[in-house]
Amino acid sequence: MNNIVSKILIVANLVFSLCFMCFAGAVYSFQAGWVQKHEKAAAQVSSTKSQLDDAIKQKDDQTEKFTADLSKEKTRANNAEAKVNGLDQNLKQAIGNQGNAEKERDKHLADLLVAQKEAQARVTETNDARAEIKRLRDQNNDAIAIRRGLEDKNLQMEGQLAEASSRESQFLKEITRLNDLLRLNKIDPRDPVIGPVPRVVQKVDGKVEESRKNASRSQENVLISVGSDDGVFKGMQMTVYRTSDGKANYLATIKITDVYPDQAVGLVLEDTRNGTIERDDYVTTKF
Amino acid sequence: MSQQSSDPTIYDGLMFVSLGAVIVGIVFLIMALDGYGWSNGG
Repeated sequence: MNNIVSKILIVANLVFSLCFMCFAGAVYSFQAGWVQKHEKAAAQVSSTKSQLDDAIKQKDDQTEKFTADLSKEKTRANNAEAKVNGLDQNLKQAIGNQGNAEKERDKHLADLLVAQKEAQARVTETNDARAEIKRLRDQNNDAIAIRRGLEDKNLQMEGQLAEASSRESQFLKEITRLNDLLRLNKIDPRDPVIGPVPRVVQKVDGKVEESRKNASRSQENVLISVGSDDGVFKGMQMTVYRTSDGKANYLATIKITDVYPDQAVGLVLEDTRNGTIERDDYVTTKF
Repeated sequence: MSQQSSDPTIYDGLMFVSLGAVIVGIVFLIMALDGYGWSNGG
């Protein structure tokens, strides 16, 4: 203990012992915090691990779900693509049908134009036919009127024929009577007639239509309303008279110079004049 | 035969203090290990 080495070793021993004591005290003083930190860190690691497991599980679930969704969407996409292809085909077919329909439409339009022209021609033809029918109807009406006129004329002719037959029988009776009379008077009916035979004057009544004198006013001509159809003949003498208060006044005698079917012209015999002849004076063959 | 001195010196005291310090350190370590439940932490 007296040498220096021992002393140094003792001091070193003291120093190291004190260091060991301080180290052990420090360890004892802070070991509780270390345990808590360890436990806390272990719990945190466990929690983190659990969370990590949950996240992995969730990730797997999400992956599966996304895979299923992806498969479903792929299926939908395939279906949609098939549908689009089908729609494309339908569209092409529809376009083809549209082209065919347009061709049919054009054809029908052309047919329509032809039909319209034909209908126009038919309308024109119908109008012409109507005009023809109207003309034929008018012609038919005219023909009916003519036929009715002819029927009336036929009836009239039949009446005249009946009257002529009656007159013929009367004339035959008259001829028989005249023959009997000639035979009683011992006259041969076959003897020739010698000398002029005056014509039979029938009773004819008419009216003066116009009276006009010539330029020298020496003669007066009278236009009367009866002619050859009424039995007036050239050379016949007729009497002109006028009625007043139911009494007939003699005016003059005329001699027929010109004869027409329904009119005649007579020359006034001046030596028989008894008054002035005016329009609407009466003329007669037997006054 | 050499003469031996029987009086403790400062160095004896230092030795004694060192021994005490080691013992106290060992007690601290035992207490720390007891806190861990005598587990090495592994």
